[in-house]
Amino acid sequence: MTPLFFGERTRRLFGLYTPAHARAGRQRGIVLCPPWGPEYLRAHRSLHQLGRLLAEAGFHVLRFDYHGTGDSAGDQAGATLEGWVDDIGTALDELKDTAGLQRVGLLGLRLGGSLALRAATRRRRDIDALVLWDPVLSGADHLAELRRLEAQALDTHDMKADPDELLGFPLTPTQALELQALRLLEPAPAWPARTLVTVSQALADHAALREALGQVPGAALVEVPGQPAWIEDRHSGAGAVPVRQLQGVVQWLNT
Amino acid sequence: MNPPAEQTLLLGPRQSMVGVITSAPEPVRQADAPFVVILNAGIIHRIGPNRLHVLMARALATAGFDVLRVDLSGLGDSEPRPDSLSPLDAALADIREVLDTLQATRQVQRVVLMGLCSGADHSVIYAGTDPRVAGVVLLDPSIPRTPRYYVQHYANRLLQMRPWLNLATGRHPLWRMFRHRNCQPVEAQLEPAPGEPPLTLEHPEVRAFLQNAYGRAVAQGVRLLAVMTADRERQHNYRRQLFDAFPQVPFGAQLRLEYFRHCDHTFTTRTNQQRLMGLVLEWMKTGWGGSVDRA
Repeated sequence: MTPLFFGERTRRLFGLYTPAHARAGRQRGIVLCPPWGPEYLRAHRSLHQLGRLLAEAGFHVLRFDYHGTGDSAGDQAGATLEGWVDDIGTALDELKDTAGLQRVGLLGLRLGGSLALRAATRRRRDIDALVLWDPVLSGADHLAELRRLEAQALDTHDMKADPDELLGFPLTPTQALELQALRLLEPAPAWPARTLVTVSQALADHAALREALGQVPGAALVEVPGQPAWIEDRHSGAGAVPVRQLQGVVQWLNT
Repeated sequence: MNPPAEQTLLLGPRQSMVGVITSAPEPVRQADAPFVVILNAGIIHRIGPNRLHVLMARALATAGFDVLRVDLSGLGDSEPRPDSLSPLDAALADIREVLDTLQATRQVQRVVLMGLCSGADHSVIYAGTDPRVAGVVLLDPSIPRTPRYYVQHYANRLLQMRPWLNLATGRHPLWRMFRHRNCQPVEAQLEPAPGEPPLTLEHPEVRAFLQNAYGRAVAQGVRLLAVMTADRERQHNYRRQLFDAFPQVPFGAQLRLEYFRHCDHTFTTRTNQQRLMGLVLEWMKTGWGGSVDRA
């Protein structure tokens, strides 16, 4: 386990690199792309555990924070989704360089899944597998859900929040517009040959996703019912760790 | 001025704890200022709730203080301890190992420990056991309830509609007490809310343990800043509760107390975050002696 900062001097990103425990066989690597804001905070434990399981299964793993989030440099108020997609590219290069790999996998959770798909579309030649874990299908729906949770929290504690913040994290009007415009399937993505979409709960919106994946040989959408990793579990500030979901992802990547 | 530089660090004898140091830029750096160590808030990793620890670390560094944010063993990205210490003893052992690493690698002689919730408790319990601790910043620490707490608590409830509705509809705990012919105080029958700690802070042994911890810290000369939020009403509900809970501790001017109304436990709104950071910065800037206070 090596915590590190990488990337350009003006855009330093925090990463946690875990080398593969089992070095026998083909060398493989994977970049883990987190959600953002409150969902990032809740899901940290799950992504930490997933990183450990993948390293034990023989993957070189790089988990990282987008610019302006987590331990990375910068303020989230200055971030853009396009910039975060670029950050995934930077993390890809870092892992390829560190582990000496030609191609690596990408795994994204929630908004991280939506961003990972864009990054995979841009960097097809560098990607050998893509896993989207409960990706955000519609940025507008995602934002509405977070706003609903925020209203609930503010009401409970008799608090007021500025319009340019969301559940304790900055969200400028420009960022809100960018998020609202996000659609997972628009513009049409270029799916890698090996793609897994894994979801905790079936949604009506998954029909279009299932249809799109149906045209990609080697792609699958599976439902693994369980507690969502990105929703607070029992007032702990953190989410549950859905073990079956993690094991399913590792198993799929390992076959 | 450039933003404060940050670097990663592995701490402890096994290099198993992950930390990030935010260094004060040279133009504002105070050579003899205490080093600030921010501990985990519950099981949230080192960035803190709403990224509060990152914002706090950068604000403190900009004001001249070096800061470490660290994951204790088994939390965030840190490895679990290989021994079988109890959770509290493990946390205290971790803090000592963290300070040992800072002393060995950066010649750190004195620190301010800062923490929210369990981080606050760990900070004050550890403080009196190590002369390197010069101050603690306690955000919503555990405080036993006092007679005045109960007066205020029930006075507030009298003014709220829900308890009366519960009484009228048979959902109030009083009805349960009558049904079970149980003459214990209602308080003792209340089940803790999900995620809340069991209601044991008033147990004589717990109270004595905490009083002893605060007493040791004060005797050692540790300065204390304690900030309570209205969100912890089940535990504390007025500014001076810490004084009243431990009347035998001669806090004197070493303790500063603040109470944030309209604020949740994790300082979610930016307004509350900024108010907290302003308070901590103001408190940090004086009281350490030497050139730090003269700056």
